[in-house]
Amino acid sequence: MRSTSSISIWLATALLMLGGLAVVPDADAQRARGGGGGHAAAGGHAQARSSARTSVNRPATQNRSAGANAGSRNVNRSNTNVSNRNTNVNRNQNINVNRDVNVNVDVDDHNHWNDWDDHPFATAAAVTAGVAVTSAVIGSIVNSVPPSCVTTVVNGIAYQQCGSTWYQPQYAGTTVQYVVVNPP
Amino acid sequence: MKRHRARGLRLLTALLLVLPLSLTAADQAAKKKKAAPAATASATAVDPDAIAALDRMGQALHKLQQFQLVSDASTDVVLDSGQKIEVDGQVTYRVQRPNRMFVEVKSDRRLRQLFYDGNTLTVYSPRLKYYASVDNVGQSLGELAIAARDSYGIEFPLADLFFWGTEHVSKDAIKSAIYVGPGTLDGEAIDQYAFRQDGADWQLWLSKATALPQKLVITTLDDPAMPEYSARLRWNTSATADAKTFTFTPPDDAKRIEIVPIGVAVVETGEGK
Repeated sequence: MRSTSSISIWLATALLMLGGLAVVPDADAQRARGGGGGHAAAGGHAQARSSARTSVNRPATQNRSAGANAGSRNVNRSNTNVSNRNTNVNRNQNINVNRDVNVNVDVDDHNHWNDWDDHPFATAAAVTAGVAVTSAVIGSIVNSVPPSCVTTVVNGIAYQQCGSTWYQPQYAGTTVQYVVVNPP
Repeated sequence: MKRHRARGLRLLTALLLVLPLSLTAADQAAKKKKAAPAATASATAVDPDAIAALDRMGQALHKLQQFQLVSDASTDVVLDSGQKIEVDGQVTYRVQRPNRMFVEVKSDRRLRQLFYDGNTLTVYSPRLKYYASVDNVGQSLGELAIAARDSYGIEFPLADLFFWGTEHVSKDAIKSAIYVGPGTLDGEAIDQYAFRQDGADWQLWLSKATALPQKLVITTLDDPAMPEYSARLRWNTSATADAKTFTFTPPDDAKRIEIVPIGVAVVETGEGK
């Protein structure tokens, strides 16, 4: 009896999680808020909270949570992103599997090799499809852009232009992320 | 006289009263002693032979002037739900001491190449066609691994390979070291060791012939789901490479972008708080 109910709870959780993954509007809403990525976990998205360490020696370690904010440096272009940064500070145990505006790509023990930026979780592709539709907040960051975006070089700097939204790609660790910028 | 006897009696009574108590205490202490060793021995025992094996491996690694290493590894990623997802990947290292290195990291989810020619570190995504380069990132490969991590958030896979056998390793971190026993990996004779330190349990399979690590498993203890990293290492110590291997030449369609330094972000975080 007990095990049956716990199994069904597990199932329900799994279903909720899957549902959460498929719910695009939710993610879009977060994106529209500009930096609500930190809330994604509460919605049951399949966000990673940690991963296995790949080395045991950590000589001259400095505060690794700094990495979580590395990507946020350029984010500091609007008030929205200040809060975004704070979100990251509190959640620096997470990789952003969901590839929202959140920037927690760099994590305590993480190697970043296994983030999903080139070929993310299949469901995440649906999430990103909404990027161009939503008016992106300047300074917010996504880990991928829609395939319809065009690579454009202006004054030697590479951009991804997606309609009226311009992204400037940058590396945070080995993760490529895209900062929403004003049209050059 | 009478008074003396009374005092003696009182003393005796006092002793009688105290004795059973102290006996019980001693008894309990003895019992504790019996129970304790089993628990603490496994947690604190550091077998000097296991530490010596680490030293041998460190020396063997340090002696390699050049090598190619292919590592098949699986990494557990823990979702917020606690569910573990395993991500498989392959890392290829080409190394020429003291300071040249090429790394390719390939998984179903990601492909990256890193070049270090002794001066410039370049990270390149062949799929996304973006690359970023930075200069002055350490004199040795160990320094490179530390600087890349601390300054740019680039974590080299199997970074331990560049730390073992150098001053960058602190053996004090090891709380337990045991020799598991001999064995074979794909026909090669090995010795297996297991270590414990804060936040991680790890195991090494060292070649009896070369003392080079053939397998590494790290169990991360910080997360209750205890994600595991497991890497099989295949060495080619006679492989040679020319300078081109370590110098990045951007393909025509590759675009240079910036890499965000971590140091600056640290300052901003302080202000943000």
